[in-house]
Amino acid sequence: MENKNTDLKIKNLRKAFGKNKVLNGIDFELVEGERVVILGPSGSGKSTFLRCINWMEEPTSGEIYFDGVLLTEKNIRKMRRNMGMVFQHFNLINNLTVMENLTLAPVKLKLMKRDTAEKRAKELLRHIGLPNKANAYPASLSGGQKQRIAIIRAMMLSPEVLLFDEPTSALDPESIGDVLELIRELADRGMTIMIVTHEMSFAKEIATRIVFLDKGKIIEEGTPDEFFNHPKTPRVKEFLKKVL
Amino acid sequence: MGGFFDKVVELFSTPEYIDSLLHGFWLTIQISYFAILIGILLGTIIALIDTAKPSKWLVIPKFICRIYTTIIRGTPMALQLFIMFFIIFAIKGFPSIITAIIAFGLNSAAYTAEVIRGGILSVDIGQTEAGMALGLSRRTIFFKIVAPQAIKNIIPALGNEIITVIKETAIVSMVGMYDLNMAAKDIGSGQNMASYIVPMFVAALFYLVTIYLITFIVKQVEKSLRKSDLRAEE
Ligand SMILES: Nc1ncnc2c1ncn2[C@@H]1O[C@H](COP(=O)(O)OP(=O)(O)OP(=O)(O)O)[C@@H](O)[C@H]1O
Ligand SMILES: [Mg+2]
Repeated sequence: MENKNTDLKIKNLRKAFGKNKVLNGIDFELVEGERVVILGPSGSGKSTFLRCINWMEEPTSGEIYFDGVLLTEKNIRKMRRNMGMVFQHFNLINNLTVMENLTLAPVKLKLMKRDTAEKRAKELLRHIGLPNKANAYPASLSGGQKQRIAIIRAMMLSPEVLLFDEPTSALDPESIGDVLELIRELADRGMTIMIVTHEMSFAKEIATRIVFLDKGKIIEEGTPDEFFNHPKTPRVKEFLKKVL
Repeated sequence: MGGFFDKVVELFSTPEYIDSLLHGFWLTIQISYFAILIGILLGTIIALIDTAKPSKWLVIPKFICRIYTTIIRGTPMALQLFIMFFIIFAIKGFPSIITAIIAFGLNSAAYTAEVIRGGILSVDIGQTEAGMALGLSRRTIFFKIVAPQAIKNIIPALGNEIITVIKETAIVSMVGMYDLNMAAKDIGSGQNMASYIVPMFVAALFYLVTIYLITFIVKQVEKSLRKSDLRAEE
């Protein structure tokens, strides 16, 4: 590898909800430009893993370094602007227009002046083919439109990493293509990405690395070729038999 | 029925009666207004404490809020009023209107707190998470995202609470205060019209019109808040 920065370094991450131990010691590194797809059975802790990275869930123990900085309760808010998150259910803010959804954070965080933010938002809306939706409220948009707007909302802050948790699971087949197309484009432009998805062909196509979680542990990881064509563990073999 | 009509004419042509009614009505309005104000202020504080993220600083305040709403909601309003009048504010010369306002205000706060709490909790957690993921502060998330959505759910129920308070204040006549209800009783008594029916109907009409007006205003506010639910044109 060339001289690339390590965006994320995770040491022995554990998370329990009461007695339910969901993450059981995850060690993980993410290097700039990588696109990591997280796979695993339902309940294996994929969402929890992503949500611990930006402290949507506070880790029970372990360390997460972002750009070499140890994440803590105190600095997490400032650090979050560097890691965009895209949710399964889009989570556009219902009482704000599309334009307000896009500009709220950059303006509030004083990263951009309002007119700069609006200009940027308009560019991005035009780019995803929704220039006429700036003043629409989320309730008037289709799922695919909402998700693409949620993605450019995350991009408004120019994050170093984008975290996607099943971004297409709540969409109809037609919209799935549009959203995947946008993610593919971000990937082509070198965006560092972590994504949980059930779209296996997309995972194969986009991933530089596949990580497989089972019972809150990474039990196998490798390139898409290694993972899909030469799986090592019986657990992954069994999983692939089911999903492919 | 002629008698009824005569009584109506009598009531409306006797300035003292009209005066008494307006006096009573004014007291009802004053008590209701300030009680509702206290209810909303205190109720908001209670609801905010109740829905705040648990922390060691909030353990005791949260506990107090729970106890408070449990007691207020678990005992009759009339009893609370009597306790205020004859025990807590049984001070000579203490203005009874203040005692009544405090009693109704404290009562309304418990109900309003539940209304506001429900409104806040009804906002999808995903809305808060979106704000967190964008690095927004708790303050911004509350004021820009959660509160505006909660208000939509709160307004209709708050309207009901306001109406309840106005009607409930009629029990102040039980501690001898001259509100609208008392005015009607007074005008109908033996020394005056010697017939309760007309003054009672007129008092009822006063309550009805006031409450109708409030219902109307609440509906208008609801409508104007609902704009983000409507399909915006392209
Ligand atoms: N906020 C929470 N409180 C309590 N338990 C939780 C919470 N979030 C997740 N869990 C539990 O953690 C476990 C893992 O959940 P998680 O959502 O991370 O799995 P997942 O791999 O994303 O599954 P799926 O593929 O179904 O999305 C589950 O047992 C779930 O019940
Ligand atoms: Mg999940």
